[in-house]
Amino acid sequence: MTSQRTAILFVLPALALYLAFVGLPILQVAAYSLFTWDNGSVTGFAGLANFTRLGGDTVFWTALGHNGIWVVLTLAFPLMIGLLLASILAECSPRTVRILGAIYFLPRTIPLVVAGIIWGWIYNPMFGLANWALDMVGLGALGGAWLAEPSTALYALNVVGAWTFFGFCVLIYLAAIQAIDPSLYEAAQLDGASWLKRFRFVTVPLLKPTTLFLGLYAAIEAMRFFDLVWVTTQGGPGYDTEVLTTHIYKTFFLVGDFGYAATLSVVLLAIVLTVSGVSYRLLRSA
Amino acid sequence: MKHLPAARLVASTMLIAAAIPASAETVVTQWDQFASSGITAAGPAMDELIAACEKVLPDIKILRTVVPSIGIRESYRLAVSADKTPDLAYTWPAASVLAGYARTGKVAPLDAYYAKYKWDGINDFYRGRNSYKGNIYGVPMEQDLMGVYYNRDLFKKLGLEVPKTYAEFQAVAAKVKEAGYVPIAFGNRDRWPATNTLSLVLGLTAGREAEEKVLFGDGSWTDPAFKKAAETIADWAKEGYFPRGFNGIGYDEANALFLGGRAAMTITGTWVLQDMARGAKFDLGVFMLPPISEGVPAGTMWGEGSQWQIAASAPEATKDAAAAYVDCLISPEHRQVWVEKGFLVPIGTKAEDLAAWNTLPAVKEFYAEGLKTPDTNFYDLHTTLPESVTQVLYPELQRLVGGDATPDQFLDAMQQSWSKAVANGERWQP
Repeated sequence: MTSQRTAILFVLPALALYLAFVGLPILQVAAYSLFTWDNGSVTGFAGLANFTRLGGDTVFWTALGHNGIWVVLTLAFPLMIGLLLASILAECSPRTVRILGAIYFLPRTIPLVVAGIIWGWIYNPMFGLANWALDMVGLGALGGAWLAEPSTALYALNVVGAWTFFGFCVLIYLAAIQAIDPSLYEAAQLDGASWLKRFRFVTVPLLKPTTLFLGLYAAIEAMRFFDLVWVTTQGGPGYDTEVLTTHIYKTFFLVGDFGYAATLSVVLLAIVLTVSGVSYRLLRSA
Repeated sequence: MKHLPAARLVASTMLIAAAIPASAETVVTQWDQFASSGITAAGPAMDELIAACEKVLPDIKILRTVVPSIGIRESYRLAVSADKTPDLAYTWPAASVLAGYARTGKVAPLDAYYAKYKWDGINDFYRGRNSYKGNIYGVPMEQDLMGVYYNRDLFKKLGLEVPKTYAEFQAVAAKVKEAGYVPIAFGNRDRWPATNTLSLVLGLTAGREAEEKVLFGDGSWTDPAFKKAAETIADWAKEGYFPRGFNGIGYDEANALFLGGRAAMTITGTWVLQDMARGAKFDLGVFMLPPISEGVPAGTMWGEGSQWQIAASAPEATKDAAAAYVDCLISPEHRQVWVEKGFLVPIGTKAEDLAAWNTLPAVKEFYAEGLKTPDTNFYDLHTTLPESVTQVLYPELQRLVGGDATPDQFLDAMQQSWSKAVANGERWQP
């Protein structure tokens, strides 16, 4: 009994802070969504009117679609590259692992705003490294305004996102691979399994919980990201890189429609909580 | 009995407070965006003028906060919504956004101060842009104009003359392109530069009167003159007047392209005049874009940059103090300080004044040209439209110039958003 009370006492300060700085603002935002606002001032009670606006808001649906594409691309590339590199790295010497691990992880330490600025230069249609490199290898005709063309903008941005995320995947996978019992690999080797077969039938199945964790972490991040888009394209050209967070930012800060921005935030929160809930269940069962 | 010590404490505190003579000084909190460098590099001039005005008005103390111009709109909006509005603020834009604060009673009407201090240098156009439903809510200060900066050396090299008609302008652009240079340095990654270009093109295609029919009357965005403006800017992009990938080029990068001598012209405003004049390693010239449609008078887009506005929530004495201080800032004797040390030209400054003051030749030239047509100068769209419409204008214009939307699709999207904003009562009307 005493120990339970002590435990509660220990938890209380953190819980109080959590409620004050997370719980309360969430409730506040949810309350905002029930009112109409004009330039930051409440003008009346709206009930669920802000939520019914969502159906006809084409920018919202476009943005949601882009978030969805981002989730799929993040799951497809950084995770796969991370898994492959970690599997190769796991068989290298500890010194190589240390050096390459640090190199791979480096982009993760760069704030997304800085990464956006750097890649903005790389993609720049006037002096960008990407077009210059294509020119150098005789593929200049493939060059373009990567962030300014509807067909490439979102994918070009996703490359930046993948660049900042794959190193994290490498390290997490590497730690997980190193925790796998080496006797399983020895047994497979004795049975004549090639590297590819060991990877396919030993590594991949045993990394299922790690893959689930990384996948769901990536999915949640893909719904929340903002800074990278804002510093590079602000959602343009047109609406081609618009995501939920940039739509919320514009509605809140630029239009001053706090009620609808709060509604969009509530929807985003619901999506993230759903993904988190699913991830929790999947991770527990894995 | 239990409450006695507390009551005593309150009573004694009140007695002490009453015994201290009240200070005669009125403190005015001020937010402005004048930094030490960049577009709004009037920070040192601001400090100098605060010192000068505090000397003239010894009962007023200014508490200055510099808010970067890039985020001042957002910061001010948050301050207003939290009821922490600074007593006096110098923010952008006027017209629609200012009208939003006037509509919700967050900024104070200044009509009485206009009458008291006789701010007659602010003409009807600028007064209108700072008015809402018949009352004035802002004191505009910077006089912004749009024009065409050009590289005189390159023009000379290519045997080009300053165009006097739109057909000549098109011929100049074609010849520049043929010679392997970029005709117009233009970058629209930041989304707002194209709105300035469209504002200029629209004024020279439709004229101020036709603009007002739509902006303040029952006219529609699908008006043929508006369509011609949309077609014109889309054609410029199609004809290769702009650099490749312009929607991915930043405003500053486009200016650098021009200053680096790789483009013959750039169409922008006086807000970068100092940077242009100091950065150009060639002979810098300025001309006004000629009228595009027949029968439309010459003119240019003008605006106020930003304006002084006083919080409605400020005590009356503070409002009076803020107005007296603003009067000091915009007084004719202080205009010269703004021009010579603040690198901005206050509204009401005449071309003759500039000719006599110590400023760059390009500044004198630009204002001499732009101030010739005060009766036909027209509106800047992205400060005139309600913010909800501006947030449609930015992406739709990117699509139009990028070739991803037709002029009709662009105008339909604008009309749709415009109708919604008008129905919501968001429209600014002087």
